[in-house]
Amino acid sequence: MNKKIKFNAKNLDLYYGDFQALKSINLEICEKEVTAFIGPSGCGKSTFLRCLNRMNDLIDSVKIEGEIIFEGQDINGDIDVINLRTRVGMVFQKPNPFPMSIYENIAYGPKCQGVKDKTQLDTLVKESLVKAALWEEVKDRLNKSALGLSGGQQQRLCIARAIAMQPEVILMDEPTSALDPIATAKIEDLMSKLKKDYTIIIVTHSMQQAGRISDKTAFFLMGEVVEFNETPVIFTNPADKRTEDYITGRFG
Amino acid sequence: MGRKMKDVLAKSIIYLATGITLCVLLFIVGFIFVKGISLVNWDFLTRDYNEKVFYAFVQEEVVPMTIDAASLSQKDPYDKRYESSLEGPIYIENIGAAIAKVAYKNNATEKEQFVFSYIEKDSPLLSAIDSTGKKLSIGTDYILESINGTDFEGLSLEDVAAQINHETGELKIKVVQPGGGVRSNIITTLYMVLVSLLIALPLGIFGAIYLTEYAKPGRLVNIIRFAAECLAGIPSIIFGLFGMAFFVVALKFQISLLSGSLTVAIILLPVIIRSTEEALKTVPTAFREGSLALGATKLQTIFKVVLPCAVPGIATAVLLSIGRVVGESAALLLTAGTVAQIPGTLFSPGSTLTVQAYYVAKEEGNIELACAIGIVIIVIVIVLNILSRITSDKLNVFNKK
Ligand SMILES: Nc1ncnc2c1ncn2[C@@H]1O[C@H](COP(=O)(O)OP(=O)(O)OP(=O)(O)O)[C@@H](O)[C@H]1O
Ligand SMILES: [Mg+2]
Repeated sequence: MNKKIKFNAKNLDLYYGDFQALKSINLEICEKEVTAFIGPSGCGKSTFLRCLNRMNDLIDSVKIEGEIIFEGQDINGDIDVINLRTRVGMVFQKPNPFPMSIYENIAYGPKCQGVKDKTQLDTLVKESLVKAALWEEVKDRLNKSALGLSGGQQQRLCIARAIAMQPEVILMDEPTSALDPIATAKIEDLMSKLKKDYTIIIVTHSMQQAGRISDKTAFFLMGEVVEFNETPVIFTNPADKRTEDYITGRFG
Repeated sequence: MGRKMKDVLAKSIIYLATGITLCVLLFIVGFIFVKGISLVNWDFLTRDYNEKVFYAFVQEEVVPMTIDAASLSQKDPYDKRYESSLEGPIYIENIGAAIAKVAYKNNATEKEQFVFSYIEKDSPLLSAIDSTGKKLSIGTDYILESINGTDFEGLSLEDVAAQINHETGELKIKVVQPGGGVRSNIITTLYMVLVSLLIALPLGIFGAIYLTEYAKPGRLVNIIRFAAECLAGIPSIIFGLFGMAFFVVALKFQISLLSGSLTVAIILLPVIIRSTEEALKTVPTAFREGSLALGATKLQTIFKVVLPCAVPGIATAVLLSIGRVVGESAALLLTAGTVAQIPGTLFSPGSTLTVQAYYVAKEEGNIELACAIGIVIIVIVIVLNILSRITSDKLNVFNKK
């Protein structure tokens, strides 16, 4: 089957000051799939992920060359960044719910976009929490502070918060690395459900996790994409020696 | 010397230093309290510093005395300003009150005056009105100067009593409400705190937001920070001089609440900017990123996420500021004046408690009164501190689990 391409990175270079963190990245990410980025620490996975919703704008020293085509538009060009971020949501490594009530956390994004209607917000909050498999656990305490939730619940809240924006893509940077196995399982479960509706890109350090949930996997090394293919191919029959070394744990 | 010995020595020095600090603090506060506490009472807090002369209209009405003569002479309405009663008291039936002759001391002047020492609860004095029909209050301690145009100066108590008993119908009484209180200073102080915070807080908070969230780190920011730090180190008399030259004279605000507040606001700015900046810096980047990643604008992020997190730090700034305003004397002396009155508008002068304490100590040599004002200042600072701490706890977003 021929899936639509959501992101297309062409010869993307990224510099932190003088340091080149991404080197000529070419990557096509398909719609409604889970794409996993793996690779050793410091190889540029997060950096690339943050390019996809222009979060690197926040870092003054960053300089980007090359293109990332999203829906026919180069997002490195002169685009509406706010609009891009509403369409490309992000979940961070450490759960970062705002110090507000659970309800306010979910309603935050839509409210910032100018949604004021209470009933509309109510349904949005409920739908998002249901989709993030959190509704049953929090429906009686929507007005309590989100900081009172457990780590796993907080991370699902952050996913719900992203979903509430009705994005097309959800970027996740090691979303389960701060969580225990049970919470991790819940979130992995969630991701396989969410990929029906959303394009999901996930950075992970867990080979098993990449194997379990992703459709395609990209292996990053020293700022380059060494290999990008269907996940089963990467894990059973990698084309590059370095990929094989990494996934078999023989990597230096 | 053994290690143990050194340890013991170091420890004892630390204890000694702490002890001395504590003792000095206790001694100062104790001194102020011992000196001043005898003057602090309800009248002191609710009366103005200046005497108030007014005419009261009272319907004459015979009210018999309900207490016996012994307890009448025991009624001791005189506060510390009267040495002793020279004559009386004598109960006068047709106004239902007793008066006494006292030597009234105020500053350097000493006068013999007639004061009410006891007022019956049915006394017509309690329903006194002024010429426009507004209700007036007359209490014990008030000075009686004349009735229906007859001045009492130089008369004996018996003559005065006879004179009053002689009058009938509506009596026009000239009464003096004794001064010596600090009500106007308390209110001026609160006004000053309020107005200067209203000016300095928004400016300081927006300044801090600019410095932490918008300004690119570099020369300009460093210069602004350096300027703010320098401002914090300049003695307040300099600000006072500036305020006098600029606000009072150049802008023609006169010596007034507004000139004073503006001057103090400048003094407060560095404190507020610094504490708010510190508070903003401690807000985790994760919150900012989380908000921006949801498509919020920078402004929305700052006002909806970052600032609420910084509330405890801003509350600290408010706390420090209140202390500064209440404690400021030099700058206010020059810009808000030493008139002990409640400023009717932003453009009227008024002295805060601290200025008043300075004034009575320096100009009148009345250390006791200054100490009494000191007690009020200490209490106000403590109360305002507790209040802002409670509000900051209430507003602290991290407290609500
Ligand atoms: N803000 C920054 N300023 C300068 N260099 C940075 C910055 N952020 C990351 N880098 C550098 O860029 C390189 C890639 O970092 P990145 O965070 O993308 O790695 P990563 O693959 O996500 O690693 P990890 O698995 O540890 O999260 C690293 O060498 C890192 O030191
Ligand atoms: Mg990373």
